[in-house]
Amino acid sequence: MGDWSGYLTLILQGAWVTIKLTLMGSALALVVAFVAGLGRISRLAALRWLSTAYIEFFRGTSIFVQLFWIYFVLPMTGLWAPTPMQAGVLALGLNVGAYGAEVVRGAILAVPRDQYEACIAVNLTRFQRMRHVILPQALPLMLPTFGNNAIELLKATSVVSLISLADMTFQAQVVRSQTGSTLLPFVTILVLYFAMSSVLSLAIRSYERRVTRGLDGVR
Amino acid sequence: MDQPIIRIQNLRKSFGTLTVIDGLDFDVMKGEKLALIGPSGSGKTTILRILMTLEDISGGRIEVCGEPLYHMTKNGAEVPADEAHLHKMRRHIGMVFQHFNLFPHKSVLQNIAMAPILTKGEKRPDAERRARELLDMVGLADKADYMPSQLSGGQKQRVAIARALALQPQIMLFDEVTSALDPELVEEVLEVMKRLANETDMTMLLVTHEMGFAHDFADRVLFFDKGRIVEQGPPDQIFTAPQEDRTKSFLRKIIAAGQRV
Repeated sequence: MGDWSGYLTLILQGAWVTIKLTLMGSALALVVAFVAGLGRISRLAALRWLSTAYIEFFRGTSIFVQLFWIYFVLPMTGLWAPTPMQAGVLALGLNVGAYGAEVVRGAILAVPRDQYEACIAVNLTRFQRMRHVILPQALPLMLPTFGNNAIELLKATSVVSLISLADMTFQAQVVRSQTGSTLLPFVTILVLYFAMSSVLSLAIRSYERRVTRGLDGVR
Repeated sequence: MDQPIIRIQNLRKSFGTLTVIDGLDFDVMKGEKLALIGPSGSGKTTILRILMTLEDISGGRIEVCGEPLYHMTKNGAEVPADEAHLHKMRRHIGMVFQHFNLFPHKSVLQNIAMAPILTKGEKRPDAERRARELLDMVGLADKADYMPSQLSGGQKQRVAIARALALQPQIMLFDEVTSALDPELVEEVLEVMKRLANETDMTMLLVTHEMGFAHDFADRVLFFDKGRIVEQGPPDQIFTAPQEDRTKSFLRKIIAAGQRV
């Protein structure tokens, strides 16, 4: 039991990897969600088609398989051999981004037609309409679901242990096999996962409060 | 007052198989105040929406300030207008909507100052100073920092008028601007519009069910039915000595409903 602090350090190192994966994966997912979400409602048929194909593909296949493709199959093409961390961020970001894209699209379409017409009447360009009127009203509609997506992403990070990236779950397995204790490492990571997701949902909820200020009574 | 500022020729508009405007012709002179009246579904709101480029046309031709609205010349040939042409033409025209359509996430001041900053490149302090002047004109100088959700319907509509005026359009379209208001709030909006009509030489087109107001406001009244002009003339003539049966029966119903004409 005296070695426990050493094992805890191991798990905390894994926790740091999990946090990095979550943050970078979420950042990528956010960018991808906006690009593909806007692409889906673009006037250009090619963009719409491309976005739809991406969304359907990444929602319709398992993240586990996607990760294996990125990490093991992609290098075979000779184009690029990602590190485990790069592969993990890419798989998580692209997978969750596909769900996020549908959220972006839904929220934009939920802004009333009235608002588009008001934009035309004050002669805003298409870009200005999006930037100054539609997106600021669509964002509060996206945030609750984005919060869910971010927590889903955090929980999905454990999949990277399968390409031997030493995240929190991977380290718990290491501790388990070295000490023979299952309860202790897995209780520890249970608590840590829950703490991380709590921080995530608190952060998103407080941001939500900030961007919806003044919109009360409208929705 | 020589050249018409709006010229509508053989305009047609249908939604699917439903024809709402059927071969319409009329001109509007610069500075003229026009009231468009008629039963619901007669196409009067559609005309304003077409002038604001919120709807496509199905046929015919419209000129605004001497230039075609839905057409442009490309390599010597006339082709349907693209977004850039529409954007250019929209500078001439402003619109006030039945349901105000204020931007709910922007303060009253931002609602008014945003478009001049974005579309005319005005400096923020200048645009905001003008916005405050306009708010003062519509009697809402103390509401600059409110959010739209904190205003009454009449106040919202006056902000919407100020927002449209901020771009200094030559033509203003008012689409049933008092129809969504509680009766006791109608007067404050009409008051603002009356002042505008008297104090500016802006060309104004008004779709309304307030016949009394149309009578006071307009230089010319157009009575619409089924997408065509049935009768037009000065308000005194239309409201007190209409010629056409359809105009007479429409006005009878309005008077029976208790309205002053």
